Amino acid sequence: MSAALRPSRTTAVLTYVLLAVAAAVLLFPVVFTLVGSFLPKSELVSYPPRLTSGAWTTANYEGVVHSVPLLRQYLNSLLVSGLIMVGHLVTATLSAYAFVFLRVPGRRPLFWLFLSTMMIPWEAIVIPNYLLVVSLGLASSYPALVLPFLANGFGTFLMRQAFLRFPSQLRDAATIDGCGHLRFLLTILVPMSKPVLAALAVWAFLSGWNQFLWPLLVSNSSPELYTLQIGINYLRAVDTNQPGQVLAGITLALVPTLLLVLVGQRWLVRGFTAGAVK
Amino acid sequence: MPNVPLPSDPRRRARRRRDITLALAFLAPSLLVFAVFVFFPLGQAVFLATRGSDLFGRPTVSVGFGNFAKLLTPEFGGVLLLTLGYVVLVVVPSIVLPLALAVPMAQRLPGMRLFRTAFALPFAYSVAAASVVFSLLYNPGTSVLNWVLESLGGQGRAWLTDPSLALVSVALVTVWMNTGFNLLVLSAALAGRDEEVLEAAVLDGARGPSMLFRITIPLITPSLFFLVVVTTLNALQSFGQIFILTRGGPNGATGVLVYSIYDTAFANNASDFGLASAQGLVLLLVGLALAAIQFGIIERRVHYQ
Amino acid sequence: MRRHSRRRASALALTVSGVLLAAGCAGATGGGSSDGERVTAPGPEVLDQAEGVTTVTFWHSMGGGALGDALAALTDRFNEENEGSIRVELVYKNSYDDALTAYKAAISSNQTPSLIQVYDIGSQFMIDSGQTIPVQEFADADGVDFDDLQPNIAGYYSIDDTLYSMPFNTSMPLMYFNVDAFEEAGLDPDNPPRTLADIREAAEALTETDAAGNTTRYGFGAAIYGWFLEQWTAGAGLDMCDGANGREERASEVLIDQDTQVELLQWWKQMIDDGLALNTGRETSAAQDAFTAGRTAITLESTGSLGDFLAGAEGRFEVDTAFYPKVSSEDAGGPIIGGASLWISGPGHEPAEQRAAWEYVKFLSTADNQAEWHTSTGYFPTNRAALETDLDREWRAENPQFDTAVDQLEATELTTATQGCLAGAMPKVRQLAEEAIEAALTGAKSVEDALGDAREALRGEMSAYTDSIGG
Repeated sequence: MSAALRPSRTTAVLTYVLLAVAAAVLLFPVVFTLVGSFLPKSELVSYPPRLTSGAWTTANYEGVVHSVPLLRQYLNSLLVSGLIMVGHLVTATLSAYAFVFLRVPGRRPLFWLFLSTMMIPWEAIVIPNYLLVVSLGLASSYPALVLPFLANGFGTFLMRQAFLRFPSQLRDAATIDGCGHLRFLLTILVPMSKPVLAALAVWAFLSGWNQFLWPLLVSNSSPELYTLQIGINYLRAVDTNQPGQVLAGITLALVPTLLLVLVGQRWLVRGFTAGAVK
Repeated sequence: MPNVPLPSDPRRRARRRRDITLALAFLAPSLLVFAVFVFFPLGQAVFLATRGSDLFGRPTVSVGFGNFAKLLTPEFGGVLLLTLGYVVLVVVPSIVLPLALAVPMAQRLPGMRLFRTAFALPFAYSVAAASVVFSLLYNPGTSVLNWVLESLGGQGRAWLTDPSLALVSVALVTVWMNTGFNLLVLSAALAGRDEEVLEAAVLDGARGPSMLFRITIPLITPSLFFLVVVTTLNALQSFGQIFILTRGGPNGATGVLVYSIYDTAFANNASDFGLASAQGLVLLLVGLALAAIQFGIIERRVHYQ
Repeated sequence: MRRHSRRRASALALTVSGVLLAAGCAGATGGGSSDGERVTAPGPEVLDQAEGVTTVTFWHSMGGGALGDALAALTDRFNEENEGSIRVELVYKNSYDDALTAYKAAISSNQTPSLIQVYDIGSQFMIDSGQTIPVQEFADADGVDFDDLQPNIAGYYSIDDTLYSMPFNTSMPLMYFNVDAFEEAGLDPDNPPRTLADIREAAEALTETDAAGNTTRYGFGAAIYGWFLEQWTAGAGLDMCDGANGREERASEVLIDQDTQVELLQWWKQMIDDGLALNTGRETSAAQDAFTAGRTAITLESTGSLGDFLAGAEGRFEVDTAFYPKVSSEDAGGPIIGGASLWISGPGHEPAEQRAAWEYVKFLSTADNQAEWHTSTGYFPTNRAALETDLDREWRAENPQFDTAVDQLEATELTTATQGCLAGAMPKVRQLAEEAIEAALTGAKSVEDALGDAREALRGEMSAYTDSIGG
């Protein structure tokens, strides 16, 4: 470790002060979520707000679990994001394999076609997609929530970058050993690509988990299909205005993503930047 | 070169054909999804954009460029300007703020890991969760934020009901959400800097701002570029925060393009899918233009190690 | 079953051929215009002839705990009473807007429900959709009348003396006020404000600021809600739309810039500028929170919020209700009822199913059931006799704040003004009205310009709607 890079005492103190202030500001909404979820409406909906009155209650959690089908929404979110994740892993691995290890006629234009799907904002084609799903009789169904997101240009791009880095000598050796494509893919390539697959999995899961507009459109008249995000929105919108329950619901919905942040920071960064940042 | 068959080898040709079949089979699932949910809808968007809508939103007779003509108004120009303004309001602080935190955090000091984890927490919030929490913080009558400001001697604000402030308030939520992830990326990039380069710079007398602008930032430009692209596209596609916080109001102050598409197609029993599709095509063009600008101009200045 | 799958297959074929819904329009059985297939109300005999259990699917928007529970309880009882012949399946479709969006999708794919609950301002759209049978036809076929229906409520859903849909959950606007704040300010809670001038006078006494100059309590605060503008207009005895509020002929113009409305917005803006009123924006829950938190002392809300207000203020201050105020003391009109009504689907549904839906609708409208509905949800009973039941009397004795609504409705004369505007573009009218109010209150436009521009824009919206029926 180099002494030249060690900060001076003054710099250190200033750093801590700056970071502490920033933490107080940035974490305020997080603290508010947590504290508010344990407060009765009379404390939360008052001015000045009585956040520290000591009138703690767990009624909000009981309310949100009983009066709102939060468990159902949780399962919906897990199911939808899980399927989207699996879909991404399968379609991206297969197509990237084709692009890297198989001779495809018209490989370049095809690859550009894949990349072009990344350039089209989903919101730009959300109307025809909605009408398509309706005309297929799939409105308000799980397939509508999942099918459009089973493949994505980014996933293919990411896996292709990883496969391109695969040592060609190893590939040749495998071929020479008479190893067919499927066996090579499943027994050598996939195990060796675990880090990038994990990264893609995190990315795909989170993008499914956080979706809002599409599930709002295709499930909003079918509460049994709500994902957590739509449930949270309607928690705020229901006639009986219960902010404490809303915050309790949000706190519960945060658990999976909080775990990802706390446990899998590195994965997460790799998931979102892999391939994009050298 | 043993074992490598000659070009005319029939076995090789058979394998070649097998390869192509396999390749098509491997590409088919992705292509099917793209064909059905990307390219067909894209063509459909063009078709719908030239049609009127009946009572139930079904396309009727051709209106030619009528829907696009409706977009050539000062109102829609305002929507586009608003959208671009919003993107800038989101992107600039979403890069600067995390950078201002990541650089001091990259120093060798105890406790930095703890700070990094703490700052990453907002990333756990989905758009819906963050927007709903902020809707309570901003709540005009019971704003917790105003209470804090007033306790500190400041003045409360009409966060969502003042037209000159509402867009900033919505952008603030987005920036808050972005900060967590962007900070993680920048921290990782800063940790990956070459120590020898840094030491050499210090020995050359680089300090403070000159160290930051001449050494550090050039070293992490790929990450910065990546964040600019991702944050811009996300900002352009923002919907949930506007839907939950302002519904495009007050007085149209937060009616960005994506919200306008939703509003035209689905709000208030409207069902004008033709006009909404035309707006969608405009969004497509804006997205492509922004991407082109970013790749064309910024990429040239990005410093790859 | 077979019909169902064939429909799906043909929808798919259309999609693939790229003409998608354009052709679906012409091909849809029962979709589109009402002249294609005229369905008349079947008599009671169809149910006897039907084999097995007739299923009625009912799309409703009664979520959020108490409402959904009350509807489920009533429905369970109906299903019990009709075991073996009718079964009603409740399908919660979220908000009214969401239910209508789903309904439109269902029309395109011929999967409409047997019965749907639609908000007041969706009435003209439902008539134009050609998908429903007026409840009047069922009543005529049975030789019964609607004498028990509260006349103002029936008035809203009647066009040319034909009752199209059965009113179900009905609400009215009220003025709510904080009794403790009134007493603190030296105001008489038994004599609440009745006009804009009264509210301003009260607000001057009610508004409080702390040492630092921050306002701790505002005299007045109401959501920017288009419904309220309609109420002020009706309160002044004025029509909101031409064609006698769309009741005599199809409305083409929204009369949103009359003197009364200008006066109202000028007053409202001045209240805000003078720091006497808090602008909480369009979100009604924000205005409710401000009142519950004691930050505003007078607010406007529907009767449906009373229960929430009472619960939220419990232990902190007393809540009372008063008639919805008038712009000026000479105004002789009254409030319009709001809420939603039930529409029976015709095309694409078996006569037995239509008839079963009617039986259920009748069941929900009996005096006893409306009394139960009233007392468990706070919605106003549609059946006048409900108010005379023991259940209802006792409940109102315990909760006298609910009497205000009863008195207010009785005091309201049924005119085209208090019937409310009937127009297909009403949801849009409300949205543009809210935007105009926002523009005026925030000073982005003068009151006259804001309302004038809205009138101009709405002229286009109204004709676009009319075109979309013809198109």
